[in-house]
Amino acid sequence: MASSRDDFIIAIRSAFLKKSTQQKFSLLTLVFISIFIIVLSSFDLKFIRYLKAGISEVVYRSSFIVSIPENFLKNTFFEIREYSTFFQNYKINKEELNELKSKSISDKITQFENEELKELINDYTLSSDKLLAKIIVDHDSPYLKSIIINKGSKDNIKIGTNIYDRSYLVGRVVEVNYKTSRVLLLSDLNSNVPVTIAPQNIQAIITGTGENYGEIKYTREGISNLNLEDSIVYTSGTGAIFKSGTPIGRVVAVTGSSNRFKVDFYSDFSQLKYIFAELVTKTEVKNEDQQVEIENSQINNTADTKLQILEDEKKIIEQTNLKFKDENELLKIKINNLNKQIVDFRNEVYDQKQIIAQYNIDLDEIEFLRLNLKFGHTCRKSFLNNDGFEVGTSEYKSCVMNKGQAND
Amino acid sequence: MTNFKPRGFYFKFYSFLPIMVLFISVLNEFDLNYLKLKYFSFNFPFILIFFFTLKDFKNFDYLLVFLAGLVNDTVVGLPLGISSLSYILICIATSYLRNITIRPNPIKDWFYFLLVIGLINSINYSILTLFFSYDLLLLSYLVNIFFTFILYMFFAYLFKYYLKGLND
Repeated sequence: MASSRDDFIIAIRSAFLKKSTQQKFSLLTLVFISIFIIVLSSFDLKFIRYLKAGISEVVYRSSFIVSIPENFLKNTFFEIREYSTFFQNYKINKEELNELKSKSISDKITQFENEELKELINDYTLSSDKLLAKIIVDHDSPYLKSIIINKGSKDNIKIGTNIYDRSYLVGRVVEVNYKTSRVLLLSDLNSNVPVTIAPQNIQAIITGTGENYGEIKYTREGISNLNLEDSIVYTSGTGAIFKSGTPIGRVVAVTGSSNRFKVDFYSDFSQLKYIFAELVTKTEVKNEDQQVEIENSQINNTADTKLQILEDEKKIIEQTNLKFKDENELLKIKINNLNKQIVDFRNEVYDQKQIIAQYNIDLDEIEFLRLNLKFGHTCRKSFLNNDGFEVGTSEYKSCVMNKGQAND
Repeated sequence: MTNFKPRGFYFKFYSFLPIMVLFISVLNEFDLNYLKLKYFSFNFPFILIFFFTLKDFKNFDYLLVFLAGLVNDTVVGLPLGISSLSYILICIATSYLRNITIRPNPIKDWFYFLLVIGLINSINYSILTLFFSYDLLLLSYLVNIFFTFILYMFFAYLFKYYLKGLND
């Protein structure tokens, strides 16, 4: 018993400490170094950040170069598949383009209105520049969903910068190096985005699932009673992590579960080649009224300013509410008038139908009288005409209408 | 079989091939994830490290394995040192197996490999969830362990061919 324990200890000790002729370090040393690095990387120290950024720069570029052959094969495969469905896609795209063109105009108007209102509510406006970035590494890990882009702190990318595919949100920057950055995709398990579900106007949070769809969580109760299928999901801007009003995806019900909904992202994260990073700059908006007040009072109290803003906001909301109420009243009156008009029209149609029916009857009568004058004597029963009929009978009428010929 | 001149360039290239493949695989994340098979992923570096350290391959330096771990962490986006620790633990496990084994048996190695990757992935998962508050899917880990275990024999067969070529 004791000897087997000794053997075990000798084997373990040998495994940890023995170095082969080629090995420069014992395994125990390397284990300690690994643990030391893990502990260090958990602290957010400045020199570790720089060290990590340096390593990342070299590794990301190397990874990009090493991945070239595989990416070439992968892209060729996707391109061949695309060509096979090229014509069908062209037809669908053409239809979509026509629809989008018509929507685009109203969208632009809404955007302008939105900007105006935002300027009124906030004391600053957000002007943003979209920076085109190339994805250099997009290894689809089974655990973490992230991509590496070729823009970094040199190009003013910061942690939290929103990343877009066309106008759809795909994620945000979680690690910035000098010329590269890591983007955490919306599909990652660690991704949480505050959203609004339209047109129901429900606030919720979308979390990644590790798959190519998200799941709606932390929403109000009773959501299962609502029909959310095909609703649009866009960022609500709550928490100021993501810009508000950016489309994310469409709601799809999970089969077999009434209170679970998933979100099909508009963007296909596995097909991303280029993305846009939004560089946001805040610019103060100086309201004329506010400027006068500031000059007069010379009080630079932030609490007062905030109160002022809130009051302004309240005023705007009240005004908007009043406007909506007036509009509502007008619309109600319009609806009533239209209903009245509909009833009038219906009555008119009924009267006209009656007149037409009477006219048809009169027309028949006139025709009978005309033919009666012409063929009455041939149909009327008399001393000389035994085959005739009594005047006023239906046989007589049909004989006259048949121009003097009796029905067989 | 190809004949190499000892100490020639091709011989050196051939003898350093496993460590180069290790670095390429960690830089490239060679695991066929882009095939979009929902329940398929495997850890190629685990297989490579386990096989060549078990065979005590002379050009498979532990320091380089350690560095490959750091590269893997950087590419995948894990905290630095996690993969290095995993790889070094595999080296320790294989070193221990070598010390206690008199007559090697591929089937026993295979099941020992399952035990090792199960243990290492558990440590990995525990560190990431407990100390770094990562949300991870346990199912992904289980699938990864299963396929890594299944594919071990296939790759071991290929690697044996490689070693045979080197010895010839």
